[in-house]
Amino acid sequence: MARRGRAGENGMKRPLKILVPLAFWLLVWALASWAVGLELLLPGPLAVGRRLLALAGRLDFWLSVGATLGRVFLGLLWGALAGAVLAFATHFSTWADRLISPAVRVVRATPVVSFILLVYLWAPRSAIPWVISGLMVLPVVWGALSAGLDCMDKNMLEFARAYRFSRLKTLKIIYFPALRPQLAAGLLTAFGLAWKSGVAAEVLCPPLWAIGSRIQQAKLGLETPDLFAWTLAIVALSLALEGLLRRGLERGTGRD
Amino acid sequence: MIELRNVTVRYGGKLVLDRFSLELPGEGLTALSGPSGCGKTTLLRVLAGLITPEGGTVAGVDPRRTAFLFQEDRLLPWRTAFQHIADVLPRSRRGEAADWLAFAGLEGEGGTYPAALSGGMARRLALARCAALGGDLLLLDEPFAGVDQERTAALLGRLRGLTVPIVLATHQPQVLAACGRIISLDGPPLRCV
Repeated sequence: MARRGRAGENGMKRPLKILVPLAFWLLVWALASWAVGLELLLPGPLAVGRRLLALAGRLDFWLSVGATLGRVFLGLLWGALAGAVLAFATHFSTWADRLISPAVRVVRATPVVSFILLVYLWAPRSAIPWVISGLMVLPVVWGALSAGLDCMDKNMLEFARAYRFSRLKTLKIIYFPALRPQLAAGLLTAFGLAWKSGVAAEVLCPPLWAIGSRIQQAKLGLETPDLFAWTLAIVALSLALEGLLRRGLERGTGRD
Repeated sequence: MIELRNVTVRYGGKLVLDRFSLELPGEGLTALSGPSGCGKTTLLRVLAGLITPEGGTVAGVDPRRTAFLFQEDRLLPWRTAFQHIADVLPRSRRGEAADWLAFAGLEGEGGTYPAALSGGMARRLALARCAALGGDLLLLDEPFAGVDQERTAALLGRLRGLTVPIVLATHQPQVLAACGRIISLDGPPLRCV
C-alpha cells in the first residue's frame, strides 16, 4: 500500500508553505504582546513593522545596513582566504600542521566576546567587526577544507602524477573542483557566524555607521520597537543573503 | 628494447614480483596475458614508474616519457570529454583535442561529461587521453574493457598507426590476435609461462 506524505504537503503551493507558518508565528507574537500589555517589554508585530518602515525611509538606515554588510563580507573574504591557505598548508606540511592546527582550534574554541574585547585593545574600533567576523569564519573554512583534503581521492592524485600535471594544474583541475562541495558547506555555515559575530562586535564596540550601533542606541534609549525593528532587519537580510549565497554556491559546485 | 632484471615488488608482505626478469620489444604491440591477479598491472606500474621496486633494475624506459592507461578510467566528473584531452596536451597543441576525440570515435561528444558517457565511451575517452599524452611508450591496462568488438578493431588499427611501442595487458582474444608478441604470464609471484 502506498504511503501518503505528510498531510497534503505535496499539494500545498509554495507561497502557502511560507505564509501559513509566518502567519502562525506572527499571531503567537501578537497574542504574547497583547498578554504582556507593555510595549517597552514586548512590542507587537504591527508596532515593530511600522517602526521598520519608518526606519527604512531614512538614509542612515541604509548607510548602517551597507556599512555592516561591507564589514561582514570583508570578514567573510579574509577569513575564507586565510582558512583556505591554512588548510592547504596544514595538509601538506607536517610542521605547519603541528604549529598552526592547535592555534586554529584555540580560535574555534574561544568565545566571540573574548575576542571582541581583546581585539578592542589592539585594533581601531571600525576594524573590530570585520576582524571578528573573519576570525569566526577562518576555523570553519579551515575545518571544512581540511576534512575535504583528507578525503581526496588518491586515484585522482596518482592520475595527475602519472599524466605529469604541474602542481598548479593539479590544484586547478583536481583539488579545487573536488573541494567545492566542502567549501560551499563551510562558507554557508561561516556566513551565519560572520553575520552574527560581526553585529555582536558592532554592538559592543559601536562604529559610526553600523546596525549594531543602532541596536545599541535603541537599547540605551529603551526604544524596544526600534530594537525589534533592527533585529528584524538583520534576520531578513541574513536569510536573503544566505539564500543568494546558497544559490551562487550551488551554481558554483555544478559543472563549469 | 625494454629490460627488467631481477625486479622484486612486494604488496603488504606478499611477493608479486620475485626477482622477475623480462625483455620487451621496443616497437609494435606487445600483449601481456595471464589470469587476473597474477601481477600484470604491477608489472605495467613498475614500467610506468608508479611503483619503485624493492630490488632489481628497469632499463630502456623513461617514466617521464611514458603514458599509462589505468585499469579504471579515472575520468574527472567535472571535466568535459574535450577538456579531458586538452588537459594533457601542451597549450600550443590544445587544438588537437578534437582529433583525439575522433581517434576514439567520440566526435560530437566534446561537451559531454563522464556521467553521461556509456562505459565503453568512457573507456575510449580514457584511451584517447592516454594516447594524446603520448611519449616513447604507451602502457595500457585492459584498454578495451567494455568496448564492443567493432570499436576495438578500429581502435587497434589507430593505435598501430601511432608508431609508438605499446605494451598492453588484456584477456581479450581479439586483442591478443592483433598483437605482434604475446607474453603469457602466471602468478603471483609473476612468471613467464
